[in-house]
Amino acid sequence: MTWLRLHRHALADALRRLASQPLASAFSILVLAVAISLPVLAAVALQSAGTVAASLETEPHVNVFLALDATDDDVRRIAEALRSNPEAVSVKFISRAQALEELKATTHLAEILDSLDGNPLPHAFTVRVRTTDIAKLNEARDAWSKLPKVDQVAADFEWSERLAQWIRFGDTLLATIALVLSAAVAFIVGHLIRLQVVSQREEIEVSQLVGATASDVRRPFLYHGLTQGALAGAVAIGGAAAVAAWLGSQLRALTPTYAAEWKMVFLSLPACLAVVAIAAALGLAGAWWAVGRELRRFGQAP
Amino acid sequence: MIQFSSVAKRYEGGLEALRGVSVEIGAGEMVAVTGHSGAGKSTLLKLAAGLERATGGTVVVHGQNVGALGETALAMLRRRIGFVFQDHKLLFDRSAFDNVALPLRVSGLAGDEIGRRVRAALDKVGLLARERAMPVALSGGEQQRLCIARAIVNRPSILIADEPTGNLDADYAKAILELFQSFHRVGVTVLLSTHDEAGIERLGCRRVALVSGAIAP
Repeated sequence: MTWLRLHRHALADALRRLASQPLASAFSILVLAVAISLPVLAAVALQSAGTVAASLETEPHVNVFLALDATDDDVRRIAEALRSNPEAVSVKFISRAQALEELKATTHLAEILDSLDGNPLPHAFTVRVRTTDIAKLNEARDAWSKLPKVDQVAADFEWSERLAQWIRFGDTLLATIALVLSAAVAFIVGHLIRLQVVSQREEIEVSQLVGATASDVRRPFLYHGLTQGALAGAVAIGGAAAVAAWLGSQLRALTPTYAAEWKMVFLSLPACLAVVAIAAALGLAGAWWAVGRELRRFGQAP
Repeated sequence: MIQFSSVAKRYEGGLEALRGVSVEIGAGEMVAVTGHSGAGKSTLLKLAAGLERATGGTVVVHGQNVGALGETALAMLRRRIGFVFQDHKLLFDRSAFDNVALPLRVSGLAGDEIGRRVRAALDKVGLLARERAMPVALSGGEQQRLCIARAIVNRPSILIADEPTGNLDADYAKAILELFQSFHRVGVTVLLSTHDEAGIERLGCRRVALVSGAIAP
């Protein structure tokens, strides 16, 4: 049980060191927590944006508006052309009259529309398409807009595709930020531990003289880095949750303005635990790096 | 117990502290290493304790070739040897008790066992009443004895002391040497360096004289 006792002692030693300088410990944990909370908040923002995008995304479709003077023959000819395109899943025809009725039903424009001489709306097709591949869709759109008596082709998929692209870019950005800040956390812990090591140089030297191995010397510092990292991770999660809750309440104030429901989606419990675990691992890595450097400097006990 | 065969030690910078030293110290023997300062006494003791490695020849302690040991094995060897440092190497930020407890904590002993052994060691050197004192509150002689208590707390079979009577007045030096003799009497192998000729005479132990890093003829 000597092994277990050595680890228990090292952990107790690390906690004692943290507690012996409460202000300094609190500050360093806070600095680390701020660094960790940034990617956490970025992840929350992305995740929230992702859910909004998912709720908005419908099946990709293209609207084809015909010229006002298009005849029934034109409609038949264009319908055939649309259906023959391999990308088209279904083609739905909306006549001018139908469109006008729908517009009257869903908006408050009935009176204005009634006051007009004729129906200002064109015949239209709604084509559901198979692919989300922008290039293919563009190809289809170009082909369809060249058909005679086709006035305009509107692709509703573009903005949602653009949003998806932004979110993908956000993911990459998040990974980069997380990587940079992870390195920062490891270096900050490493630096803090190095200061500890330097201030305890005598103790380390004497311990080595009376038979402490390199791992004996390293152990309490590793626990110190580990606990510091884990605490910072927990504080970061707590802080990020508070910020996200506040932002969420701000967002809710905006929500009635838009059709979509916008809300903050915080990290899942496993993800939170993973953040704490990663922070602890970074603390451990930083401590290892710091003690390793200082140990080599002591070299073989004189 | 301790065997030197043609041992040489050259420090970085070219200083040759020992050359061609061959000497054997048997189990339970008490040996005094004498010589002027710079003769290589401290180096010899450090090599015997596994605190340094020879640059030539072989040093065998407890049947282990020190030069061939890895870092961890060397640390384990050091745990089986008590070393009294010339400059004491006490930690001034902790009590006498905690200083003596250090080797036991390093070895991962249980708390109550540590308490028992530390008090036994402090009692042995006559410092039991001062266990809570900080080293800075102790006299030079008391610091020396505290260092001895730390060296014997692991109950080593080899006890090595570098100039243990160095800065002490005659009476105090005599008491310290008698302390080492008492360890020798219970079977501990004792190796110490000194230039206290009178003290050595009184001890009547074997003597190894060093001159400029070599055994004097």
